[in-house]
Amino acid sequence: MNESAHSGFESARAVTPDPINPKIRTMEVVDTDFHFSPPWPVIRSYLKEPFKSRIWHYPAVGLEYNPEPANERPGVGQDTHGTAGTGAEVLRILDQFGTDIVILNPGYNRPMSIFSEPVLAAFCEAYNDYLVKEVFPVSPRIRANMMVCQRNPELAAREIRRVGHHRQFVGVFTEFSALYEQLGNARFDPIYDAMRDFDLVLTAHSGGWFNHFSPLFNGARTWIELFGNAPIANAIVHLAAMIVQGLFDKYPKQKILFQEGGVWWLSDFMLRIDDFYVSAPGDIALTERKLAAGERYLNKLPSEYILENVRFSTQPITIPKNPKHFGWMLELCHAKDLFCFSTDWPHQTMDPANWVVEHPGQIDEAMQKAILGGNARKLYARL
Amino acid sequence: MTDYFLCKPGDIPEGEGRAFQAGERVVAVFHANGRFHAMANKCLHRGASMCDGAIADGGSTIRCPWHNWTFDLETGRNVIDPREALRKFQVRVEDGQVILSA
Repeated sequence: MNESAHSGFESARAVTPDPINPKIRTMEVVDTDFHFSPPWPVIRSYLKEPFKSRIWHYPAVGLEYNPEPANERPGVGQDTHGTAGTGAEVLRILDQFGTDIVILNPGYNRPMSIFSEPVLAAFCEAYNDYLVKEVFPVSPRIRANMMVCQRNPELAAREIRRVGHHRQFVGVFTEFSALYEQLGNARFDPIYDAMRDFDLVLTAHSGGWFNHFSPLFNGARTWIELFGNAPIANAIVHLAAMIVQGLFDKYPKQKILFQEGGVWWLSDFMLRIDDFYVSAPGDIALTERKLAAGERYLNKLPSEYILENVRFSTQPITIPKNPKHFGWMLELCHAKDLFCFSTDWPHQTMDPANWVVEHPGQIDEAMQKAILGGNARKLYARL
Repeated sequence: MTDYFLCKPGDIPEGEGRAFQAGERVVAVFHANGRFHAMANKCLHRGASMCDGAIADGGSTIRCPWHNWTFDLETGRNVIDPREALRKFQVRVEDGQVILSA
């Protein structure tokens, strides 16, 4: 296109704007939630026998619901913004969004829907081995949460101990929803034992398990219900169990990162759980861990465990129009200490980092650095 | 208000958009149903480039490439929440030239 003055008019220049705020590219950005989807033939090539000879297709999951009917982008499924299945593809996206370090989560988002635990465990091994052999060597900027068979804690612990020595694994991927047993239940202690030995963070990511019946899910009709709002309630349920069933008293150094469960409910939750605890703590002594320890109460107030052990990834952040309200919400939810930036690329609600630096009246320089990378560095011992 | 020469009409194919730096502004220009529309390029939601969006609804709207925020090409208003609006600019074809007033 003509860039020179033309017929007496000022000339305008055709441009390809960078939608990422230039300040983002001057700061350290750690993306704590990026979904990685190696092609199925690649995963299959890493399957061990006898699974490789018997499993030809990625095991189908039931009642999968993706955002296509909601976002009217047919054919892209969950990967609204693209698909990355190799280390090189990951680096290309990181550069596009101004990200320095990424923590990959499995793009095969519904692994727990595989009905067979041995098949699921083999699938997890293949995924983790592919990361170790072909993805981690591409760049130290690429880290990952390992995939485990969450609903069988012994199989999950076996996998953590098998690959936990690879330092680019920084955590363990799990899902929460109304269909999962609370991750704070003592049944999962084999997982927490293994993570303690390797200093790994538990990522609790909103998920499904769609081939199991749930009145809550079966009564839903829209993506807004299933993915927009149900995770908020589910995150609260899982977090409460972690605290009052004594997870952090038994594993005081265990760190948890909740993902896609919302953040702004924290201010009410911390007050409410403390109030209920002080008023009616009697049955805490009857939980498995407290029975085993012979303890009657928690060691701290419930909200204190959140400040010490739990963090929250930000995507999809919601921002009120009134800046004063935004500032209050950030303060009430301890954003400077608890929030860890995430994009959730490539899913529908993918959240670039612009918002962190575009509200300087509410998010000052120090908080920007903390949210974008500093809090993740404190959270992950291996980062 | 300054008039800027952008390009020739054929430089923006029907059904597509382009971005132009016009003075201090970045303006997205769309060609839909034989007409040109110009509006601020930065989406009000998360800052995506609207010029990378998809023209939809029979050529009457533009959808943000990131999260589908959809704006009326005539008015610049969000079709769900009309209180949210991208700034519109006048654009015309004159003597085989696409001219932006911004």
